[in-house]
Amino acid sequence: MATPTDDRSQLVSKLGLDRQNGAALGRVLATGNIGEAEEGPDGRMRATIRIKPDELVYDPSVLILPHGGDLDIEIINDDLNTHCALFPSNGDSQFIWLVNHSRGTASINLDGPGYYWYSSPTGNDEGRGLTGAIVVLGEVPPEARLDRPQQPRP
Amino acid sequence: MTEYVDAGHAVDWGTLSGVPGSAPPVARNVDYQRILQARSTEPQNWLTYFGAYDGQRYSLLDQINTDNVRRLTPAWVFQCGPAGLQAGGSTYAFEATPIVVDGIMYVTGWDGWVWALNAVTGQELWRYHHATPFDTSLCCGNVNRGVAVAQGKVFVVSPNAHVLALDAETGKCVWDRTNGDVRAGESATLAPLVIKDKVIVGSAGGEFGVRGHLDAYDLETGEHAWRTYTIPKPGEPGSETWPADGEQWARGGGNPWITPTYDPELNLLYTGTGNPAPDFDGDVRPGDNLYTDSCIAVNPDNGALVWHYQHNPHDLWDYDSISENILFDQGGRKFLGHFNKNGYGYVLDRTNGEVERVFPFVDRIDWGEIDSKGQITVKKYPDKEGEPVHFYPGPGGGKEWTHAAYSPRTELFYVPVQDVGATATRRRREFKEGIPYWGAGVAVDSEGMAGCISAFDPATGREVWRWRNEVPMCASVLATAGDLVFAGEPTGEFNALNARTGELLWQFQCGSGHHSSPMTYSAGGRQYVAVPSGWGGWIEGFAPGMLAGTHGAALFAFALPE
Repeated sequence: MATPTDDRSQLVSKLGLDRQNGAALGRVLATGNIGEAEEGPDGRMRATIRIKPDELVYDPSVLILPHGGDLDIEIINDDLNTHCALFPSNGDSQFIWLVNHSRGTASINLDGPGYYWYSSPTGNDEGRGLTGAIVVLGEVPPEARLDRPQQPRP
Repeated sequence: MTEYVDAGHAVDWGTLSGVPGSAPPVARNVDYQRILQARSTEPQNWLTYFGAYDGQRYSLLDQINTDNVRRLTPAWVFQCGPAGLQAGGSTYAFEATPIVVDGIMYVTGWDGWVWALNAVTGQELWRYHHATPFDTSLCCGNVNRGVAVAQGKVFVVSPNAHVLALDAETGKCVWDRTNGDVRAGESATLAPLVIKDKVIVGSAGGEFGVRGHLDAYDLETGEHAWRTYTIPKPGEPGSETWPADGEQWARGGGNPWITPTYDPELNLLYTGTGNPAPDFDGDVRPGDNLYTDSCIAVNPDNGALVWHYQHNPHDLWDYDSISENILFDQGGRKFLGHFNKNGYGYVLDRTNGEVERVFPFVDRIDWGEIDSKGQITVKKYPDKEGEPVHFYPGPGGGKEWTHAAYSPRTELFYVPVQDVGATATRRRREFKEGIPYWGAGVAVDSEGMAGCISAFDPATGREVWRWRNEVPMCASVLATAGDLVFAGEPTGEFNALNARTGELLWQFQCGSGHHSSPMTYSAGGRQYVAVPSGWGGWIEGFAPGMLAGTHGAALFAFALPE
């Protein structure tokens, strides 16, 4: 039986999908918070991502960018265990090691639109919940669009 | 609480790999003149996608030959497994043709990967990874077929339809242009082609109802030079082959998703175009639907379409005509050879597109019949809503994109053949941007498959020999002056056949199936044969009985013992 969207977050919590050793062994992916990056006057975007204690989740676990481009991330590990982050970025992915109670930064560049996963590639952090998404909104540049009338979308 | 420990700033993932991050400057002097003479003056290299502009996939190297190929052994192996989640994690394939310039190899993987390798040792020298959206529309897997190299740069397309120029010494991006609209379902998979001062690319996404296009960029600056749409707008030549009312032309498909070949004397680029959209529901697009399923001859200086030949007017079986157009001369005439998904081989006069000869190259063909001059008699297609229709070859084709080869020594074509049928049931649907637009449910036969490597005489269309396989042959073929034909199998075997008899002379199990293009080169006086092994792509379309074949991602280089 399908669940109405409004009830989804309550049901996720009730079932324990959003915590460690609740419904599943780990936290089901993308059950964390959603956050939006801020855009500076120069067009660069900024966001802060935290790893919360004993939750093995990035907060926000879904980060929204208004468009493609450069993003500066402050990443903070508030957990009592060591993790890391491997962010997608054009050229090469960006990696940072995050010991307990540490804070660092990352700079990435992404095209738009679409969404990308990032994660903590150590042990099975990724399966336990430390896999986050970066969603890039917007359209491709006008010169890259097809020469045709506006078409219907779903 | 104590202060946070300073974790510093994130670093390039590749710096934690032992990769030096630089390659020798061998690509600086690669230019149009060198590529023009690629086969004749520097057979030690493989300078362009097909090895030469003519698309023959033939090498003059003969150190490895019919007498000694039994001693061939792996010289090195390069592997790359992904970290984290990637688009099409279950369908990626290692489909590339490596390029080699003076001992340095440039090769792409899937998902935006590009590597420079030492072609003698296999050592990784640098890497580039274009971040690919996880939700990119990829009809047929997360794949890429290779790079072009010229004037110190490596040119590549990304799954999200970007065209990139990388510094050939460092792998750093020099310029980046968006060539397609991912929200419309466009992507890009082909190896670019350098002609004169331009880099030529084609679009992909025909299963999503896009409008195909071929583009050229200035290879130094990335400035867009021209775009040629493969579907005419109303009022343009060819538009009369589309419904006069409505917007079917705007979603007509026809993507040129395989690298063109090129005749410098005629200054003509030959590119194949893909299926019309929707693939199987022809009632919504009455007419021939130009220039889908065609060979189009294009002036590379300005993109002007000079002539066309349509193999499958009003296609109803998903018979893309994208596969290579191999240029060869016989009896003082300029010909073009092409093996179509529809199961027929074509020899055209490449000066004007007129048919010289058409002949079948796969055993089971029942969608229709084509006579020796190209006259088509259609027999069956999914014409009634909800009524299943079985036909041969299936939509993967008697041969899909994987390439045939031509040996001027034997004057024979060598063709990887897929003999597989399919059932399509027409199911009409409305068009919505970014949603698959097939117009049918399709199930390709997972039993009763067959395959072979067949040699054909283009002068007669006669099959000269056949090496049979129990499953389809779904990888490109390489022909060499050692009178060898190399061909990989879906089950992982990489084979060397006698080019004159088809006898199997050597075999090596690579551990994963082949859906790529082998090539050969020489460095330090030693000939190598290289082949990417990594089964994947649209397996359910061309060999569903091998859908669970082992995944892999390894590039093998073979050579004779030192």
